[in-house]
Amino acid sequence: IINNHYEEIDAPSAEEDSDKEDQDLDKMFGAWLGELDKLTQSLDDGRPEQSPQQKAPLRQETNMANFSYRFSIYNINEALNQGENVDLDALMADLCSIEQELSTINTKPNSAGGMARLGLTDTKVHTHTHACTQISVYNFCCCCHCVCVQEEQAAKLKAENIRVALEKIKEAQVKKLVIRVHLSDESSKTMMVDERQTVRQVLDSLLEKSHCGYSPDWSLVETINELQMERIFEDHENLVENLLNWTRDSQNRLMFTERIEKYALFKNPQNYLLGRKETCEMAERNKEALLEECFGGSSVSVPEMEGVLWLKEDGKKSWKKRYFLLRASGIYYVPKGKAKASRDLVCFLQLDHVNVYHGQDYKSKYKAPTDYCMVLKHPQIQKKSQYIKYLCCDDVRTLQQWINSIRIAKYGKQLYINFQEAMRRTEAAYDWSSLSSSSIKSGSSSSSLPESQSNHSSQSDSGVSEMTSAGHTRSQSVVSSIFSDAWRRGTQGEV
Amino acid sequence: MFSSGILTIMAAWDLSVTVEDLGPDTPPVTLSVTSDLHVGGVILKLVEKTQIKRDWSDHALWWEQKQRWLLRTAWTLEKYGIHADARLVFMPQHKPLKLGLPNGITLRLRACFSNPVFQTVIGICRMLNIRHPEELSLLRPLEEKKKKKDKDSTVEIYDLTEVPLSSVSRPCLYNGMPAHFADSPQMEAIYKMLSVTQPPPAPEVIAKQYRPASVVDKAHINGRWLDSSRCLMQQGIQENDKLWLRFKYFAFYDIEPKYDVVRLTQLYEQARWAILLEDIDCTEEEMMLFGALQYHISKVSQSEPQLLSSSAAMDDLESALQSLEVKMEGESSSASEMLENMTAPELNDYLKIFRPKRLTLKGYKQYWFKFQDTSISYFKSKEESIGEPIQQINLKGCEVAPDVNMAAQKFLIRLLIPAPEGMNEVYLRCENEQQYAQWMAACRLASKGKSLADSSYQSEIQSIHSFLAMQKTNSGSHGNAAASDESINTHSLVSPRYHKKYKAKQLTPRILDAYQNVAQFSLTEAVMRFLQIWQALPDFGLSYVVVRFKGSRKDEVLGIAPNRLIRIDLGVGDVVKTWRYNNMKQWNVNWDIKQMAIEFEGNVNIAFSCVTADCKIVHEFIGGYIFMSTRSREKSDTLNEELFHKLTGGHEAL
Repeated sequence: IINNHYEEIDAPSAEEDSDKEDQDLDKMFGAWLGELDKLTQSLDDGRPEQSPQQKAPLRQETNMANFSYRFSIYNINEALNQGENVDLDALMADLCSIEQELSTINTKPNSAGGMARLGLTDTKVHTHTHACTQISVYNFCCCCHCVCVQEEQAAKLKAENIRVALEKIKEAQVKKLVIRVHLSDESSKTMMVDERQTVRQVLDSLLEKSHCGYSPDWSLVETINELQMERIFEDHENLVENLLNWTRDSQNRLMFTERIEKYALFKNPQNYLLGRKETCEMAERNKEALLEECFGGSSVSVPEMEGVLWLKEDGKKSWKKRYFLLRASGIYYVPKGKAKASRDLVCFLQLDHVNVYHGQDYKSKYKAPTDYCMVLKHPQIQKKSQYIKYLCCDDVRTLQQWINSIRIAKYGKQLYINFQEAMRRTEAAYDWSSLSSSSIKSGSSSSSLPESQSNHSSQSDSGVSEMTSAGHTRSQSVVSSIFSDAWRRGTQGEV
Repeated sequence: MFSSGILTIMAAWDLSVTVEDLGPDTPPVTLSVTSDLHVGGVILKLVEKTQIKRDWSDHALWWEQKQRWLLRTAWTLEKYGIHADARLVFMPQHKPLKLGLPNGITLRLRACFSNPVFQTVIGICRMLNIRHPEELSLLRPLEEKKKKKDKDSTVEIYDLTEVPLSSVSRPCLYNGMPAHFADSPQMEAIYKMLSVTQPPPAPEVIAKQYRPASVVDKAHINGRWLDSSRCLMQQGIQENDKLWLRFKYFAFYDIEPKYDVVRLTQLYEQARWAILLEDIDCTEEEMMLFGALQYHISKVSQSEPQLLSSSAAMDDLESALQSLEVKMEGESSSASEMLENMTAPELNDYLKIFRPKRLTLKGYKQYWFKFQDTSISYFKSKEESIGEPIQQINLKGCEVAPDVNMAAQKFLIRLLIPAPEGMNEVYLRCENEQQYAQWMAACRLASKGKSLADSSYQSEIQSIHSFLAMQKTNSGSHGNAAASDESINTHSLVSPRYHKKYKAKQLTPRILDAYQNVAQFSLTEAVMRFLQIWQALPDFGLSYVVVRFKGSRKDEVLGIAPNRLIRIDLGVGDVVKTWRYNNMKQWNVNWDIKQMAIEFEGNVNIAFSCVTADCKIVHEFIGGYIFMSTRSREKSDTLNEELFHKLTGGHEAL
């Protein structure tokens, strides 16, 4: 939403002389906030019209994937039954915004055939949501002096409308999932996630909502109760994609919690990358050099992990010792009676299709030699199966080294990028915390729906004419730089 | 003369200089000189005396006894310490050299014989358009064993000696290649040879090559590197001698496919041969993947060689088009794509299905299959296909493996489909090649979450066809591979160990298996992927030297890697100790006892003498890697040659 507002205020200011901008900053802030109020009002107006129970069928009519629909409803019902600790307000806001989007396509895009759908939507795009209409009218006022030849514009408008319509169809097809996130204090939050969101984005919005202090260790952890295993989702992973692997009657949980092991690898790389047996200290400067050496080059070398591990035999509760080695191409073991020459190694599994999980309490569940177990399985497997591989280490250190080395082999540089990104957020969080809260709050309330709203409202105003949209991109950057300047000044003042 | 004074009479003496260009039988030219005459003056006198009018600018004086060039023309004879007994030779500094490239091709080109080899390599690389010449060096080739029948041993040599030296010193690109390659069709053909990967070698060629059998064998090759701080003449290299140009330091900086056409191609060739000759160990799975990539690279470079050798402008256009394609795929927001999705194509046919996991004795059963989006559904018959399918299987995320035998006309698609309960195994049997290619391509795309509407569907079908064609020709046995892609023998793609282990037709399905994951790569992507997997091998970048550690009685092996040194116990064959350059405080070399001493942080001191290579070579390796690691910090493109010599020269302790 923030993006819209940039555009709305910048339109008049762009025409003014830039010298005045500094003095006008306060005014602009005022205008901006006023605009924001209007918008929230219009959102509020739309809200009481329908209750969530009525809204749900509306979703059913649209072309959303059935599965996601069922899934969401199931979760909502569950959430409603749970009663007390559901953040219904936030949920309502999310649902309302979806409803608004959908109302722009009054017809249901079903299997009636592509062309027919196109034609229909063409005529209907003119009905915008409250918010959108307001914006386009606003833009019209300040840009009417640049109206081109009527017919030409009409043609353009039509083409643009088709594009917008297609955009909206696409938007409507975006799966959204209502999820329950469990916190470490046994409470839970209900929120809506969009199928395009990465774990990082979801973490960000959770952090903003929960005011729990920023740290790169905050993680989304998937726990599979039935198999007694868990995994920290990587920041770059797609959350919805992972959650859709769960079965409908799943007892799985999604935990929002701090886990030091998530990025321990980067905080103390010497314990993971050097293949040493004992933990040790290292100067920060050397750590950086080591990380740069491992992840900075054109290829990432996998830490040399090898050693005896216990492997659970298929279908039995017995564990056998084997000598395992990790290579970039997968996990191998040394066959009996052979030396560990590369060519004689037997491929245990390749890492493309499996994830590495942390097994819990396997000593009692599977008679494991120790409780330091890791599990390798395809993310879609949710029940006991011969395709799940269980490995057991002698101590927790070995386990962590293996798990982290497998993560490096699987994700390579991406892991390091995730870490750097998480660190950047942490640093940025300090700057942001000193800003006036009103402007940020309004941004965060809709942050569970990234871009979706701002996207199509900017679509609709670019539909007015080509020239305005060109003007926008320019002035938008001007304004945003003014904002950032102002913020910087603000933070300096407080320091 | 007498009147001009006593001094002159005292100092004048005869200096004899052999002028190489006059031929070996011509006696030396004698010049009357004085000790205060500078070298430039000597050359001037000499040229006047020979009375030959030509360009002498590349010529210089070589002092035979002292094995040094007299390149400082302002220095006097006295300063150089030259007396009447000195035998000097006047000859060009650039002489022809036979140069073996990583891809097996031999060039004849003019190389500098007077500057340090480091400079010589820079010159050669500039001529060949290879960036970052500091990563390469020259080494003496292995002696080729003289075979009884000598008729095959004459290798074709491509001549580059006509390239004017002036154009090499200031290269400008024309049509994406250095201007001197654009002069004639012949030259252009040579450039193509440098920049396009060679077809897979015939299995016999691989088998015939020398293969190191042990880590000690591998250590011997490193004794052949030339000293970078001395010139070719000083190292006994003669005109027209043969040397190899190879990547020596395995720290490849700033690879940019757009500018590094030759560099990438040669790097790929060196890596390919290292794998084929088991210079670096890998597992069977990795070997199959390398094989699949080689196959793909050779196929793509034959069908679209213009991609690598095209001009920069074309590249820009190409990459722009490519990114546009990616964008359209990624956003899938264009109207045309939306339409395409709405009228999604499907496949419909009778196929046979078999589920090996179910405990039934029933074999394959025929059903009417429909492939739509990323799912397969099947019905009892075509007529019933309007109703509910018997089953619908979504293939997204599944594993697809081929099981094909052309001779037996067996076309099987093996699917491993993940489900909450585990993996379901399903076999689909096709009737013929055409059907198989279509359904297999669809399965592969679906496993990646793409539908039949995806733009890569047709090329996927094509690549399946071409791979089947390969199997077809393999079943009829013949040896002359290398010719065209239709007749690639899979034995050309793997090391000789697997020639013995598997027959070509047993190998094909295994390589095909690995191939499906790489079939969509462009040429550059495939080459980069090959290099990436090579670099990810545990033993990558290790150069071995047999050494004797101080206080030890037995030979051990020192492995020199881009970031560390390792000590390998020859008895066990295991790494016993690792030292990282990051912790290195200083290193010294004692030339008298030929011993290197290195000090690491934490009071760790090691000292060793070198057995299979000169001390200087080892010293240069370590110093060279330290030099390579300094490159990232300074942004400039100019090489800090002084630093290189300081780090590798061993004249002063650091």
